[in-house]
Amino acid sequence: MSTVEILTLVIIVALTIGWRFTWLATRVDRANLRAERSWAALDAALVRRAQRAQELVLMPGIDPATALLVSAAASAALEPHLSRRDRERAESDLSHILDAVDPMLLGGPGLLESERARASICRRLHNDAVATALSLRRRYTVRILQLAGRAEAPRPFEMADGRPSGRELGWARDR
Amino acid sequence: MRTQRRSLRVGIVCPYSFDVPGGVQNHVLGLARYLRQAGHRPFVLAPGALGPASEALDSNDFTTAGAAMPVRYNGSVARVNFGPLSAARVRRWIHRGKFDLLHIHEPITPSISLLALWTAEQPVVATFHTATPRSRSMQLAGGVLRGAIEKIDAGIAVSESARNVVVQHLGRDAVVVPNGIQFDDFARRRHLSDHPRLVFLGRLDEPRKGLDVLLAAAPLIMEARPDLEVVVAGQGSRELPEWCRNRGMISVESKIALLASADVFVAPHLARESFGIVLLEAMASGVPVVASELASFLDVLGLPQDESRLGEVFTPGDPRALAAAVLQVLQRPNPLRIARAQQTARRYDWSAVGATVVAVYRAALSAAPAQWAERNIG
Repeated sequence: MSTVEILTLVIIVALTIGWRFTWLATRVDRANLRAERSWAALDAALVRRAQRAQELVLMPGIDPATALLVSAAASAALEPHLSRRDRERAESDLSHILDAVDPMLLGGPGLLESERARASICRRLHNDAVATALSLRRRYTVRILQLAGRAEAPRPFEMADGRPSGRELGWARDR
Repeated sequence: MRTQRRSLRVGIVCPYSFDVPGGVQNHVLGLARYLRQAGHRPFVLAPGALGPASEALDSNDFTTAGAAMPVRYNGSVARVNFGPLSAARVRRWIHRGKFDLLHIHEPITPSISLLALWTAEQPVVATFHTATPRSRSMQLAGGVLRGAIEKIDAGIAVSESARNVVVQHLGRDAVVVPNGIQFDDFARRRHLSDHPRLVFLGRLDEPRKGLDVLLAAAPLIMEARPDLEVVVAGQGSRELPEWCRNRGMISVESKIALLASADVFVAPHLARESFGIVLLEAMASGVPVVASELASFLDVLGLPQDESRLGEVFTPGDPRALAAAVLQVLQRPNPLRIARAQQTARRYDWSAVGATVVAVYRAALSAAPAQWAERNIG
């Protein structure tokens, strides 16, 4: 093999490796961004859900005990500066309370029901995005070359979704 | 204040040819029909041609991906297309369509679905129909197709079993949204004759649909019920015993009428049925259901030992078990169960299913980069 041939080979190999790393970096970047954006979407959906729940209190004919319970749980979830853990707990509590409210009181599937379903879907999309980002971050190449940069590792948001939306809209049967 | 929401331009990609009937094709048409009624603009790209007078879709909104090639996939023959020509078509369709989002069905079949997934710049919602744990492409997908799979913004699985496959093989998650039915079309007045009538719907020549099991079981049922009438309807030709009446390929209207006249509906599928849409249509018609014990059927019916199950199940491929289950249904009618089954089937009406699909669209868009997310509102 001549020097030129060896050199060409080395360049080809280097380019291939470089391309692979760039591609991997693109994927890591894409996954991180998706996890960030889906968190923003979930956050917004949860806030809307809590706001709708607070509006329940204004429903005509709602009994004071229900009103108080729902309003307290919704306010707790809307509390600013909650730690991640506390937020997860507060949102789960709100889910449980809303489960316990008589659906007749809600006047059938209204805005609150659709916000609940929306929040549940957003949470699934977010945790899915987080899982993708984390599995890429765990890769040897990604860790060694620090392809994930300094961005903090995303975390899944764990909470109870509640009755209608947890198993989506009640289609799946318990197995 | 409720925010004003703009109607969405949705590009739907179906990998299977519209020249032949099939579950995914029907699902895509049902979805398109719902989206139109809900004020959105669905556009469909698929191989083959749209049937005449399709009320689901304007013919201008359907783009053919060309003629399809038959390939074996998921245990049955699927007509799909691929190659550079198809890739160019897909790219052009996406480019000209100016879609707010793409809804790709069976995204990892080697077809226009996969090509669309590669090309997509807009947010992608993908529906997984397959509930086959050992699907070849699912295994491949784990390695080669990783990058493409990561492009999916929101996954939908048509059943819990389909979702499990997505989780295990692709490492992704999916929201469970089942296939829809036109409930009101099926919930009609029943017309029963004096003979008990057993009905089977499905391809006659595809072993997977299990007609052979039914044909072996029918004589056993007739020992107890000699007046049993067996009616089958579906594509394909094959030799049938003389006591079996073959209606051939029938229209939707005839299918509805046939179900309205049935005393028992049998789904003897051997394996790999992605979704029990036939069961739901039978349930909506108020027909008692006997089905083989497959994951996707159990998703709909409930476990066999469950008192509140909505139909009888039997070991797949076992004619004796099938016969016993049918006799059980014929000899001890259970009106309460039929009513509950009908009520359950109503939940699968497109009005509910379609609304949830749109909720997934909205959620995917709200998590999309700004230029796409803006299209969600206002």
